Amino acid sequence: MTERKTTHFGYQQVPVEEKAGRVADVFHSVAARYDVMNDLMSGGIHRLWKRFTIELSAARPGQTILDIAGGTGDLTARFSRIVGPAGKVVLADINASMLKVGRDRLLDRGIAGNVETVQADAQYLPFPDNTFDCITIAFGLRNVTDKDLALRSMLRVLKPGGRLLVLEFSKPESKLLEKVYDQYSFRLLPFMGKLVANDAESYRYLAESIRMHPDQQTLKDMMGEAGFVDCEFHNMTGGIVALHKGIKP
Amino acid sequence: MTDPTFRAGFDATLETAINSALRYDPGTRARLDKLAGKVLAVALSAPKMNLFLVIEDERIEVHSRWGGEVTTELQGSAIAFLQLLKNRDATPAKLGVTVRGSSAFLAELQSILRDLDIDWEEPLSKLVGDSPAHQIGLGVRAAAGWLKDALGKAPGAAAEAVSEEWQVTPPQAQFEAFAEDVSELVQGVDRLEARIAHLRQRLNQRGTD
Ligand SMILES: C[S@@+](CC[C@H](N)C(=O)[O-])C[C@H]1O[C@@H](n2cnc3c(N)ncnc32)[C@H](O)[C@@H]1O
Repeated sequence: MTERKTTHFGYQQVPVEEKAGRVADVFHSVAARYDVMNDLMSGGIHRLWKRFTIELSAARPGQTILDIAGGTGDLTARFSRIVGPAGKVVLADINASMLKVGRDRLLDRGIAGNVETVQADAQYLPFPDNTFDCITIAFGLRNVTDKDLALRSMLRVLKPGGRLLVLEFSKPESKLLEKVYDQYSFRLLPFMGKLVANDAESYRYLAESIRMHPDQQTLKDMMGEAGFVDCEFHNMTGGIVALHKGIKP
Repeated sequence: MTDPTFRAGFDATLETAINSALRYDPGTRARLDKLAGKVLAVALSAPKMNLFLVIEDERIEVHSRWGGEVTTELQGSAIAFLQLLKNRDATPAKLGVTVRGSSAFLAELQSILRDLDIDWEEPLSKLVGDSPAHQIGLGVRAAAGWLKDALGKAPGAAAEAVSEEWQVTPPQAQFEAFAEDVSELVQGVDRLEARIAHLRQRLNQRGTD
């Protein structure tokens, strides 16, 4: 009998080749209600986490930026204004439903011209070497089956001196905070997910996948091993979220 | 280091304050449009922080860092800066504010911002910052409030959601247990906040001992 390789999907073990499909189901099912849930779940704080990400990106007019796992395009919208007509932003996501909602949202916000949408997997980015000045992946790396592969793929398409920014849920700094946060995300979140998006499973998955994601130091080490230099992280909201930054040498 | 969300909160509130004032003022927006692409850098000495106002077509963006070119740079205290923005006869020289770069851009921007009705103090309150517990508290309260609202408005849909979730009908006991969980959670947040406030107070006391 051959042994099947498994990986985690939230707290369950699933065969490696199944994880991507399961993650896709989650995001297909939440795409339409994604923005509402985001605000509801975080009390709007996700906007501040994203804002700090933009600040640290040091994006400038004329630059080329990749927002991978970009979903409904929050970061893309802001980047598009910063890089201006001479620059370019690529909004990429593995999921066609999320990408479609993202494209519609950008049009609603009056953003067009310097944005391109591409369906792409973070592990196998379909871009030439040394293409981007900056890559962001916000609340996306957690969902990727092989994170090392994704980090290396992002390194490849960055220009030398280019920045990678990983915004992701992480480990709260205090035990007490962790406890409250656990209650919130394991009890309240799936229930809200059920009511708003008619989908408790997806939000249960979100809560579980957050706990399975590498903590601050582990992710920083992984970035270093993948070849990034000057790696650093900033805790936000008591470490519930962390922003990691690394440079391509 | 303080939580980066405090600073982000300040920037976001300031940006919203400016741009909502602009929304009802097409004349001023048109004046602003002429300044598109220009950047005012403000280096405050007390409190020490950098601020960049970037003119974007008909709006102003606020940044805490800026790698691009700067049109005009100001250096001075926050009080002096506030005076410049609010006071008609305030000049940089009178207030001890150093100006580098284009003073024409500064004068035009100053006159635009003065004409707008902007609450400059509200953003400053964000800088003081909420504890992480308070931030989560906001989320939990928003969620709990919303939940109550949803249950009140559409009891049918909520009941349906609840029974599907537990695969039983009617899940009265379970629902009550759940409601209890939620209120316990809110209380937990309150306790956490109180504990942090207490710790802070003790630290402050220690600082002045
Ligand atoms: C939680 S959403 C985040 C969306 C957006 N960046 C934000 O912060 O609001 C996660 C996104 O990651 C995408 N995703 C999951 N696995 C991916 C992969 N291997 N490559 C690219 N995107 C992926 C999902 O389709 C989903 O849109």
